[in-house]
Amino acid sequence: MTIKLNIIELPKSDYQGKPSSLCPGCGHDQISTVIINAAWENGIPPERIAKMSGIGCSSKTPAYFLGKSHGFNTLHGRMPSVTTGACMANKELCFIGVSGDGDTASIGMGQFVHAIRRNLNMVYIIENNGVYGLTKGQYSATVEKGSRKRKAEENRQNPIDLCAMAINLGCSFVARSFSGSKKQLTALIKAAMSHRGIAVIDVISPCVTFANNEEFFRSYGYVKDNETELHSPDYIPHHTPVEEVDIPAGEYQDIELFDGATLRLETVGNEYDPSDAMAALAAIHKAEVDKMHVTGLLYFDAEQRTLDEELTLSDTPLVDLSDDELRPSEQALADLLAEFRS
Amino acid sequence: MERIVNDFTINIATANGTGSQSANLILLQTMFEMGVPVSGKNLFPSNISGLPTWYIVRVSDAGYQAPGDRTHIQVLMNKATWEKDLEKLEQGTVVIYNSDVKLPVERDDLILYPVPMTKIARGLNPKLARMISNIVYVGALAEVLGLDEAKLEAALAKQFGGKQKAIELNLEALQLGRQFVADELEVSDPYVVEERERDPDAFLIEGNEAVALGSIFGGIGLLSWYPITPASSVAEELIDHLPKLRVDADGKSTCAVIQAEDELAAAGMVVGAGWAGIRAMSCTSGPGISLMSEFIGLSYFAEVPAVFWDINRVGPSTGLPTRTQQGDLTLVYYAGQGDTQHIVLIPGTVEECFEYAWRAFDYAERYQTTVFGFGDLDLGMNRWVCKGFDYPDAMDRGKVIRSQEALEEIPEYGRYRDVDGDGIAYRTLPGSGLEPILSRGTGHDEDGVYSENPEIYAANMQRLARKIEGARNQLPAPVLREEEELEVGIIFYGSMENTIQEIDDILEETGLKVSQCRVRALPLHSHVEEFVNRHETVIVLEINRDGQMYGILRTELPIELVPKVHSVAFSDGIPPRARVYAERIMEVLEEVHK
Repeated sequence: MTIKLNIIELPKSDYQGKPSSLCPGCGHDQISTVIINAAWENGIPPERIAKMSGIGCSSKTPAYFLGKSHGFNTLHGRMPSVTTGACMANKELCFIGVSGDGDTASIGMGQFVHAIRRNLNMVYIIENNGVYGLTKGQYSATVEKGSRKRKAEENRQNPIDLCAMAINLGCSFVARSFSGSKKQLTALIKAAMSHRGIAVIDVISPCVTFANNEEFFRSYGYVKDNETELHSPDYIPHHTPVEEVDIPAGEYQDIELFDGATLRLETVGNEYDPSDAMAALAAIHKAEVDKMHVTGLLYFDAEQRTLDEELTLSDTPLVDLSDDELRPSEQALADLLAEFRS
Repeated sequence: MERIVNDFTINIATANGTGSQSANLILLQTMFEMGVPVSGKNLFPSNISGLPTWYIVRVSDAGYQAPGDRTHIQVLMNKATWEKDLEKLEQGTVVIYNSDVKLPVERDDLILYPVPMTKIARGLNPKLARMISNIVYVGALAEVLGLDEAKLEAALAKQFGGKQKAIELNLEALQLGRQFVADELEVSDPYVVEERERDPDAFLIEGNEAVALGSIFGGIGLLSWYPITPASSVAEELIDHLPKLRVDADGKSTCAVIQAEDELAAAGMVVGAGWAGIRAMSCTSGPGISLMSEFIGLSYFAEVPAVFWDINRVGPSTGLPTRTQQGDLTLVYYAGQGDTQHIVLIPGTVEECFEYAWRAFDYAERYQTTVFGFGDLDLGMNRWVCKGFDYPDAMDRGKVIRSQEALEEIPEYGRYRDVDGDGIAYRTLPGSGLEPILSRGTGHDEDGVYSENPEIYAANMQRLARKIEGARNQLPAPVLREEEELEVGIIFYGSMENTIQEIDDILEETGLKVSQCRVRALPLHSHVEEFVNRHETVIVLEINRDGQMYGILRTELPIELVPKVHSVAFSDGIPPRARVYAERIMEVLEEVHK
């Protein structure tokens, strides 16, 4: 039997990680599998990826995927700032940040919004289950009003919708998905990897241990019954000519991505235009009112400049510059001192 | 009357936001250009416009740079402090005041020079009168003290950066102030400035600018910062100098500068950049260090190079944001939860600010940990005489494996395996494809894999302690100035360097000869212990309440040496005045020798 290789001739095992220690059935493990598949199928060399995380169940997952990539399991809510520094050092790496709803929507809110504001070139995945799993199931700030986890009062506070927030901040790529929707999630994560700029993907990822009862809006059962898909996304890599791809029968819209890949959004119900921020916010709002989850590529804008572009950093990643390129010459110091002395 | 030449203190009372800082800097620069040893201290409020500010100029042939015990010449511009400023003056003090401020000067034991500054300024430009009146007092002072006209004009032109209109206007104000004193007043005070030989190599610079330049020459690749007094000017000077010093052939930058959303993020960016292989730094003050502490702990435990400059201001909490102190020493030495210990570099001069700024990166990469630069507002935000900066040594990038061949030379590579026996393990960088690891702030084994194993944890912590211990004598050694008597030794650090000689001279007048030991880094160099060993009594002198360096010495010195070490610690926010500390030293010695 021959082992299947990707376009850079690596087996999928080169993209796998250690066995997961999360609870069996955890949505996060499904997402890890999707990340492995997406990176492998996109043919990104593992050493060109850096996986970043904060603290929490979700943030443990970088141990379980991409074992040949460097990674940093940082501090609670601080993944964005560490990624920012690392990205300035080496802007050519593909940064995949994994965070949770506690890590992003509470303790890390400041860093989340500022990473978006700067349009840091990274994939930002939130594995969003509505509870703090690692500290035994406390509600997080994304849990919906009226949602109730097992053996608890229902939540009465308004939720923070991270996608709506990202859209309001002008985020260049905003998507919502579900850990159980493997095809959609794979297409979106692949597209996010092909995007230049920050790509926020808020993934509903049920916590099977503390909040998988039907009264909880992020349980498997509830999401399956109450998901509204904006479209059916398909990722077409840059190395596959579009004519070779099956053209779907119905309506579709193509999104051109930075690396030449295409994200094809097949219409499933009403037409949806991901370049329309107002439509995106309306869709999120409607879903909230209807106690539904809207999934798909909510918003996309390819025109924005990334942080490293704004800073006009040297073409060579800073980490690859020689000591001589990093230190001004003796003559430069002599000139400076002469100027001070004049 | 006997003339008093180059030995007096001028106090200039103004309101902030009125342009008085420009006037004061012109005065300082002029005297400096005349070759006169001079220092200036800005006592400013935490406010942008309208609150009291004092500028203290010490003119001293002896080279004393502290504010001095008393004011000899008082300039009065500010209504708000008028009465109190007058009250404090000793008999015979010269008072140059704005006579257009209709407030009484009811003392007949002072030498009074009323100058209608507002009127003169209004005559030139009514709209800008408030600002121009400051230049009028510079003119008046220049006449009283006999400042060189050409040097004064050059200093003024330098201050206004070639803006011709501003230069002309202010020049006129200067001359009118000068002329008024010459024509209308009878100058009857003894204070005179006399020209000295000017060191052609010397110039005036703030410590913070020296830190910024040292970092640039140290190969900084990322500066992330959050605005805070008194550290902001480190970042601002860096930003000013980068375009000339750090662009590549395409005109693109080789250093990223990010104004972060807070100090948490600023520190995170430093750690991220250090992890990914570049030299990164942040500059802040005490409140920022509090927030950065979680990342400083991560840097220590995950062993990521990071440089943080703490430009001390007065704590606790928000404290006195625009005043100076050495109150963060223990904070930076032990920042982070659990057992931690950090390398701290403590410059005492602007030359050392430059040097330690580039060295900090070498130490951070060599020891794969946080290195602090420890300055303060006094050294950072006031202008000091500088003889120049030496070009840095070749960079020490530490134990980074950059090729497969290099990796193969290491037997049993593990990210945290101590193969050389110095506690420092080798590291690989993201993007290299060499021995990838998932770095973490959680417990880990020698390969970097998560571990809660008790033996592994304890061994790792011992290695970290050994690693920092190994740095001790590689860091800048203390500067020793010893007396033959070896009776009393004074240990001090940082900006106290600028007051110590005056303290020493005051003590010597009482017949007491003291040795000096200026500590320049933590952990303490072994020379410090030897200094303590050699002396009968040791005083640890510092600008805080609790004697933080004294506490560190008590912890780290052999127990039999501790009884001879005593603390003199005092802080009121004002840069140290020699007599205040000298008197406290004498009190302590008296107590000890009872």
